[in-house]
Amino acid sequence: MVLVLALGDLHIPHRAPDLPAKFKSMLVPGKIQHIICTGNLSIKEVHDYLKTLCPDLHITRGEYDEDTRYPETKTLTIGQFKLGLCHGHQVIPWGDLDSLAMLQRQLDVDILVTGHTHQFTAYKHEGGVVINPGSATGAYSSITYDVNPSFVLMDIDGLRVVVYVYELIDGEVKVDKIDFKKTASIHTAH
Amino acid sequence: MPPALMNPLMPPPPPPSVSVSAPPELEGSDDVSGRSVTQKRRFGDLRGLQWRVDLGVLPSESSTSIDDLRRVTADCRRRYANLRRRLLVEPHIPKDGSNSPDLTMDNPLSQNPDSTWSRFFRNAELERMVDQDLSRLYPEHGNYFQTPGCQGILRRILLLWCLRHPECGYRQGMHELLAPLLYVLQVDVERLSEVRKLYEDIFTDKFDGLLYQENDLSYSFDFRKSQDLLEDEIGSHGNAKVKSLDELDPALQTIVLLSDAYGAEGELGIVLSEKFMEHDAYCMFDALMSGVRGSVAMADFFSSFPVAGSQTGLPPVIEASTALYHLLCLVDSSLYSHLLDLGVEPQYFSLRWLRVLFGREFSLDNLLIIWDEIFASDNSKVEKSVDDNIDWGLRILHSPRGAFIAAMAVAMLLHLRSSLLATENPTTCLQRLLNFPENINIKKLLEKAKSLQARALSVDISSPSPLIIGYHLQSKSVMTRSQTLPSETVSPKTPVNLLTDSYWEEKWRVAHEAEELKQDGIEQQIPTRKKGWTEKVKNTLRRAGSDPPPSRIKNGKKESKVVRRNILEALHKALGPEEEAEQMDCHEILCKQENISEAAEGVQQNDNSKGDNSYSSDDRCPSGNTGIEESSSVYSDSTSPPNEANYHEITSQGSSVASNLYLDECDETADTSLSDPPLPVSDHPESIPETSESTDVDVDKSENIPQMSGCNNNDPGNSATHPKEKKQNKFQWFWKFGRNTVEGISGKVGAASEPTKSTSSCSNQSNSQPPVSSTTSEHFTSVSSKGDSVDQNVMGTLKNIGQSMLDHIQVIESVFQQDRNQGVSVENLSKNILVGKGQVTAMAALKELRKISNILSEM
Repeated sequence: MVLVLALGDLHIPHRAPDLPAKFKSMLVPGKIQHIICTGNLSIKEVHDYLKTLCPDLHITRGEYDEDTRYPETKTLTIGQFKLGLCHGHQVIPWGDLDSLAMLQRQLDVDILVTGHTHQFTAYKHEGGVVINPGSATGAYSSITYDVNPSFVLMDIDGLRVVVYVYELIDGEVKVDKIDFKKTASIHTAH
Repeated sequence: MPPALMNPLMPPPPPPSVSVSAPPELEGSDDVSGRSVTQKRRFGDLRGLQWRVDLGVLPSESSTSIDDLRRVTADCRRRYANLRRRLLVEPHIPKDGSNSPDLTMDNPLSQNPDSTWSRFFRNAELERMVDQDLSRLYPEHGNYFQTPGCQGILRRILLLWCLRHPECGYRQGMHELLAPLLYVLQVDVERLSEVRKLYEDIFTDKFDGLLYQENDLSYSFDFRKSQDLLEDEIGSHGNAKVKSLDELDPALQTIVLLSDAYGAEGELGIVLSEKFMEHDAYCMFDALMSGVRGSVAMADFFSSFPVAGSQTGLPPVIEASTALYHLLCLVDSSLYSHLLDLGVEPQYFSLRWLRVLFGREFSLDNLLIIWDEIFASDNSKVEKSVDDNIDWGLRILHSPRGAFIAAMAVAMLLHLRSSLLATENPTTCLQRLLNFPENINIKKLLEKAKSLQARALSVDISSPSPLIIGYHLQSKSVMTRSQTLPSETVSPKTPVNLLTDSYWEEKWRVAHEAEELKQDGIEQQIPTRKKGWTEKVKNTLRRAGSDPPPSRIKNGKKESKVVRRNILEALHKALGPEEEAEQMDCHEILCKQENISEAAEGVQQNDNSKGDNSYSSDDRCPSGNTGIEESSSVYSDSTSPPNEANYHEITSQGSSVASNLYLDECDETADTSLSDPPLPVSDHPESIPETSESTDVDVDKSENIPQMSGCNNNDPGNSATHPKEKKQNKFQWFWKFGRNTVEGISGKVGAASEPTKSTSSCSNQSNSQPPVSSTTSEHFTSVSSKGDSVDQNVMGTLKNIGQSMLDHIQVIESVFQQDRNQGVSVENLSKNILVGKGQVTAMAALKELRKISNILSEM
């Protein structure tokens, strides 16, 4: 059983001062095994903060990131799942499922995590999942000003992944859960 | 005839094992001894099974049938399985199939401690801790203990036990208690498979209809064996003429029976089962830790808090360590005193010995033999008809098993005796203790331990605690003593300490004697009591007499201590006059005793709560009650009509003597006392306590000393007034009581300068006009003014007395409380037993005091 925290588009300090306090209190070290971050942190301090939560940190580069060493895309394997990571500003139209599915096939991953739209979305697509964790700080995007802070926690266990969605709506943390099972046959068929 | 012709269904005969003779324990020659062993220990050669019986997991009655064993086994396993289902959390698998309704609570980041996920994370934390220890468990036996399967079993068991007992949690060392348990189960199972290999046929299920009806034994294996089958087996083995299974070794029979899967429980009931080793090991571990119904529960050894009902107020493992030294002291006092001299506290090494039951000192093989003995000892409590007073609560010595554990530790100490005695400093001593030699004769050690066990059990019952007291008093360094006994903090180097040591001992002994004599009759009590009093008062005299002035100065400086000290002194003082009464002239004694009897009557009239006469109540609480009751009796005595005039006199005299400081009224009395030639103090031992004690009591030194000296002067001149004088002293004492409270709380007025004042007043009697605090003078004038109406005065005084007594009791109690709190420091833990006990008696005495004072204040 592995817990993977996925978040992105924090835009600290340009568009938001910090993570919401409620999120910060929930994110404690010791529970999470991996963090995947889609980018746009945007400064090193946020990177350091994420490191305190969990040392195993994977970041791709957003268009506002100071650190230019972050890769454009990244793949990693956790348990029996292959995860792909990309900020998403490169994929046009932004947030389009078909385009993202293309990237998913390109990277050959089961779970693709992208950002940039600042809207939480999760699609089950072709035996895989495409997830956008939204903006963890609720920063405005170039598309919309109406953004709820949100992030995603994935509980990967064997062939099963449970996606917990944490969204801050009117000062209250709302939690949602999405189950996803990967069938072995689909994996071998690929 | 070839077996195949007889029974075609039969499997091929066992491999030609003619040359491989049966294991030694299966041969006929061992049969007799085997039986004798099994009478005592039913499953002697199946250690795991035997332990399960010994630990109380399986019924221990020898009449228990295999079926019963099977049932109990199945129950235990079911319990464990339930526990495992309930406590091992798998958060991502919804328990009842439905999705968790409240995601806000049940999500991985939930802050709610009750959520499944929080429990999961807590378990994971615990598991990490357990794993840290398990990965280092018995590296020398790594091929068994380090296998993933074994580690998994151990981890689950420890985890479950800790979850089941959250108050205890996981402590390092528990895994080493568990590992041998699992190991013996494994050995049992291996033995089973070995036997199964040898006698394959017996274990093979046969339903071929060739039932062989047993005559004497109709166990469930009737089904499985037939005569021809057995004959085949015999034929194949050739050596032993075994006609039926019954003629096999009983141990082997047992094994066959225990591996039987038939019966209501099915597979779950197989007593020796590899599948359920984990379940069995958990049951054993749980039984070992909780002690089932006995007094030795290993879990206690891991807790740092005293168990409920512990009289020593010490953590159990420290208590056990104390018991260990107690035993050592009895057995080998020279080694004991050597260890004490070095300052080697028992818990330095016994913590490690006891917590894992010697698991770190011996190799696994030897350890199993030791545990055989430990578990073989009964863990049930020995019933003892010992009073609470005597019972010191060394719980480990209350059961044979606990006694054996202590005895084993002492035997180990004795084994190291010569090398320990050769050590010169505590470091090397502990080095030797903590590096127990590997190559030891385990049998000898066990024999020694057994003999010590008997000793420990008998000793504990017959002569419980003087030794401990002695040990504590001897072993106390000056510093620790001053910590534990508040009254002696003042000047550790003065003779006071030595004397009070004997004083406490004496008091304790007196309490003992009184306790024993109580049954014999009251007439015998009185001499004992008197004797005790004599000695006590002698101590008082010596103590008071030898108390050097420097200590008084210190005394004055340490204001916080003074209150306690004063109270003690006052108590001593109250005892003093009684002693005097014995030493006095004939008529005085008569007069005094008359007074006492009258007083007793008065007390009984006044306070109905006392069923016995005052003597027996004295015996109940020998520490301070006597003094108070005695003096209170004097008071009630003074209320009785014939003595009214006397009382008048006392009052007037008391006030006059006190007021000779300001010399206003009753001039003649004061004049006589002052004009009489002053005699050396040493001539009148009776008067010493008053004088010297009054010098000790620094608060009212200023007015007491002149008064006492007046006493001295009066003594030879008019013996008739002597008793009155004494009463007056007591009267003074009471007032002092009241004032002490007032002043003790408000802080001493010029306490530091007091000694010089008193000395000046001593030497310079004629112009003894020391500055008196306004409160005291007011006090006395009020007394003298009250003197005209006797009844009012008496009532008022009694009320005052009651009030002041209450105050004092509160002071003493608070002091005790403080001490108790202080005593928690680790170093003194074992030593605190003494204080704890002393406090118990003192508290009892205080309770009595409280009763009396309540009655007094009510009047």
